[in-house]
Amino acid sequence: MPIVTIDGTTYEYEGDQKLLQFCLNQGIELPHFCYHPAMSIPANCRQCLVKVGMPKKDRETGEVELDDDGDPVIQFFPQLQASCTIDLQDGMVVETHRTSEEVEDAQTDNLEFLLANHPLDCPICDQAGHCPLQIQAYKYGPEGSRFEFRKVHKPKRVKLGPRVTLDAERCINCTRCTRFTDEISGSGQLSITNRGVKNYPMTAPGEEFDDPYSMNTIDICPVGALTSTDFRFKARIWEMSSTPSITTTNATGANCHYWVRDNQVLRITPRQNMKVNEYWLPDEDRLVYNKFNDNRPDGPHIRRDGTLAGANWQQAFAKAAALLGSADPERILFLGSAHATVEDNYLLTQLADAVGADAPRYIPHIEPGAGDDWLITDDKTPNAEGCERLGIQPIDEQLVGTRLAEGAYDLVYVLEDDPVGSGLCSADDLADTDVVLHYYNTTNETLPRATAALPAAMVVETVGTYVNQDGRAQRVRPAKEIQGVNRTLMMEMGTNREDEHGTPFDRWHNDENRINCKPSWEILPEVAKKLGEDLDYPKGPKQVMDEVQSTLEAFEGATYDAMGLKGTQLEDVEAGAAA
Amino acid sequence: MEANGTPQSPAGDWRSYERMLLPPIQDLHKLDVYTKHGGYERLRRVLEDDDVAPDDITNEVKASGLTGRGGAGFPTGVKWTFMPEPDDRPRFLGVNGDESEPGTFKDRQVMEYNPHLMFEGILLAGYAMHIDTAYVYTRGEYTDWIALMAEQLENAYEAGYVGEDILGSDFSMDIVLHKGAGAYICGEETSLMESLEGKRGYPRYKPPFPAQKGIFSCPTTINNVETLAHVPLIVQEGGDAYSTIGAEDMPGAALYGMSGHVKQPGVYEYPTGMLLSDLIYDVCGGMARGEDLKAVVPGGSSVPPIRADQIDGLSMNDESLGEVGSRTGTFCPLVLDEETDMVSFTRRVAHFYQDETCGQCTPCREGTGWLENILARIDEGEGRMRDIDLILELCDNMDGGRTICAFADGAVGPIRAAVKRFRDEFEAKCEASVYPVSTDVSAGPDSAVAATE
Ligand SMILES: Cc1cc2nc3c(=O)[nH]c(=O)nc-3n(C[C@H](O)[C@H](O)[C@H](O)COP(=O)(O)O)c2cc1C
Ligand code: SF4
Ligand code: FES
Repeated sequence: MPIVTIDGTTYEYEGDQKLLQFCLNQGIELPHFCYHPAMSIPANCRQCLVKVGMPKKDRETGEVELDDDGDPVIQFFPQLQASCTIDLQDGMVVETHRTSEEVEDAQTDNLEFLLANHPLDCPICDQAGHCPLQIQAYKYGPEGSRFEFRKVHKPKRVKLGPRVTLDAERCINCTRCTRFTDEISGSGQLSITNRGVKNYPMTAPGEEFDDPYSMNTIDICPVGALTSTDFRFKARIWEMSSTPSITTTNATGANCHYWVRDNQVLRITPRQNMKVNEYWLPDEDRLVYNKFNDNRPDGPHIRRDGTLAGANWQQAFAKAAALLGSADPERILFLGSAHATVEDNYLLTQLADAVGADAPRYIPHIEPGAGDDWLITDDKTPNAEGCERLGIQPIDEQLVGTRLAEGAYDLVYVLEDDPVGSGLCSADDLADTDVVLHYYNTTNETLPRATAALPAAMVVETVGTYVNQDGRAQRVRPAKEIQGVNRTLMMEMGTNREDEHGTPFDRWHNDENRINCKPSWEILPEVAKKLGEDLDYPKGPKQVMDEVQSTLEAFEGATYDAMGLKGTQLEDVEAGAAA
Repeated sequence: MEANGTPQSPAGDWRSYERMLLPPIQDLHKLDVYTKHGGYERLRRVLEDDDVAPDDITNEVKASGLTGRGGAGFPTGVKWTFMPEPDDRPRFLGVNGDESEPGTFKDRQVMEYNPHLMFEGILLAGYAMHIDTAYVYTRGEYTDWIALMAEQLENAYEAGYVGEDILGSDFSMDIVLHKGAGAYICGEETSLMESLEGKRGYPRYKPPFPAQKGIFSCPTTINNVETLAHVPLIVQEGGDAYSTIGAEDMPGAALYGMSGHVKQPGVYEYPTGMLLSDLIYDVCGGMARGEDLKAVVPGGSSVPPIRADQIDGLSMNDESLGEVGSRTGTFCPLVLDEETDMVSFTRRVAHFYQDETCGQCTPCREGTGWLENILARIDEGEGRMRDIDLILELCDNMDGGRTICAFADGAVGPIRAAVKRFRDEFEAKCEASVYPVSTDVSAGPDSAVAATE
């Protein structure tokens, strides 16, 4: 196998590879800004310089020349090379800043240039704390600056489009953003304008940067030049914790980080998963963060004398159980949910079975034409595939709608969905029907008709599994705390919150921001218990999922360990079949 | 070298030289005049003679020793051999008429007075390299000559010299005129290709070289306008005969664009290897203001200036100029007399590069502006002694492969040389007491301050 020697260590490699990417893959850090593995290589930042040599070959024989010790004589290129552009060649010898003073100096010189006109307004910059320029300037940069002139002034606070604001002075002209719109999203909406130190990215005159993926440029901008219009100046990076999870806006199951401060989700950014969303996240997946904070319920409610009144959890469980116990099983409709996890849907199926009712069905949420064949799908739910694999079928909306209107059901048990809001039926249709509702937000339009309203934890507060449209099972972890004590959630919080940039734990504590809700996998067994049924999984959703994957072929192998951080691909098998 | 007390010129008996690129013929730019004087005959001979294979043209050009006249001086025939074997991809010739380097104005003469010679050269080059299309990328400000060329090209198409089955042969080639939009960097060959493709004129890193992946990712050769105009002459004279003209290391005719403080500036055609002293005192009639010579910038603003006390015996070929750390560049010497403030001059040069850098690479984008800032400060009498060494350090941090293209090298070469060779002038301006600090007193209306606004 061909070899390269980097700082004295020899590595084998295969195929065509670029030196910088190879080093990064080996865990050898090289400073760089413009290079991004998903895009073309412009080699414009000039930060990744290294010294490169090749074994000297005799001109006539083509043999490698050896020195007195029998080692190959290495001929170094007279000039330093940008490692992002260098193709590995057998026998190549590379010196980075770790072994070459020349390289170290060149990298420092380059950073001095990069910082010359940079505003250095890190104390008020959103990017500070996870800024490639800041980090690498501290690591490799000069101690001070010899630049004694007025810095170049360029436009600040430019609204490039509805979601992205540019501070042109911070831009280091890496062209990552323009390459993103050219090569990745394909909108071609950004290009560099002007020349020299005056240049910065801009839209064509009169045009808006309204690319549905525009906010990805904020993530890949190596400085704070492109900022989120919405998130700008809201929080410092080190005040937030970030939790690896997935988005639930659609059926892609894009991997993301939820950024939380004081139990409020403040922003959502992409998390790399080459099997799902690569490095990217559509804007619509990010702008939903408020639904985790706003209009959240305040504990369970029970209908008494025609009005919903606050109750404690035990009363609410008892009410739900009483309704289930007293209704004719044939006149109960169980609605599972493509918004809820596999575990929660599975438990609902068990409950329906226990009371002798028909198996649950789910309400599909399809918006034909909304998808783009990339990361945005027509399906606006994250777990339709999971439901199908559990054997939960979509309802025939026409049929069920009519039956609801006719009063064919005495009780509707709704798991984390909104039959009224989704247009399945009207609120009036439910006038004579009892409704047990697991719900997320007080804007749920079925809520006014609920007999027992049970606030459910959302994706950012729970543990569970979703299956995306391609059959990839991925688990989620709690990113924020809810009220009450739940050992499973606390353990998951303790072990899974990644705090790459800040403090290990969110140190802001405002109890009002902890929502009085419970995960459905806690609610359903409690309701069952009140009915005298045993739905007990003391180890929580992990145990539920173990059972699901060992009994249903469609989930085989989807243990929590196997899913890890990047999920696991499920086999294509017939839905609901036993393992 | 000494003969009769004067140094012998590598240009030989230049006084009796007969012009070939720009012969003194009235209305030569017109097709009928051009053909009357043997125009397109070389092309006809090549196409009609079955014994002349494409490679033979390349070999003649190689034998002639012709070097590129765009500034880098690369051997033209050798460059042509870099083209890969023809495959199913189109192949392109990029004709570099961007001519934006300060002090350089000789390609313009070819385009204005002898465009058909360039077209004939393009066609011969195209034949040699199996090229189907040539793009003539012309400096946008040359509007008049672009219009003139367009008209003449039209005539050549009509007369069957360009287009399908040229002169009844099975060789076809198109020539397309393309107007630049006023950026110096678009004269850099890879930037020119980007610009031609309709993109922002950002140079590409190499490899891949243009021959491998050029215009629209197809095999491409880029040559300067003047370079190509030499080709019909080489085909006519034969490579070996042509190589005997002028200096041995870069033979042939040359267009000398003389500017600065000489009595008769202009473009003069002579063999390569002219003594600088002959050019200044003989060809151009001496110093314009009667002052002594102070410096010569031999080939466009990107080449290092030479001190007057070094020009004795120096001739316009790289071997000779290399001895004093300079180059022929574009063969366009800029002559400066004793009145010239070298600090202001350097500042003006720095301003040009600051304004023209595309801004792609960090060291060039930031360094050119920084250098101008320091030079302006020194020029205005507010410099510090340490500024001088800082200039030299910044120059070292910008060139020698720190950037994608040679722009930065062209920007810092002259600045570094000016500071090193005229350091006393820079130091004098940094002495706190010598110069007043006010810009309007020290610089004066004619200086770089006014010029740079
Ligand atoms: C910054 C820069 C500007 C250049 N401008 C021109 C130009 O205006 N005209 C030109 O012919 N060559 C120019 N060149 C040189 C070209 O890159 C290229 O070497 C040349 O066109 C090749 O032609 P030749 O081999 O016939 O000289 C420039 C080079 C650089 C680095
Ligand atoms: S705005 Fe950011 S991503 Fe775009 S060119 Fe500037 S530094 Fe690069
Ligand atoms: S990473 Fe920017 S030049 Fe290599």
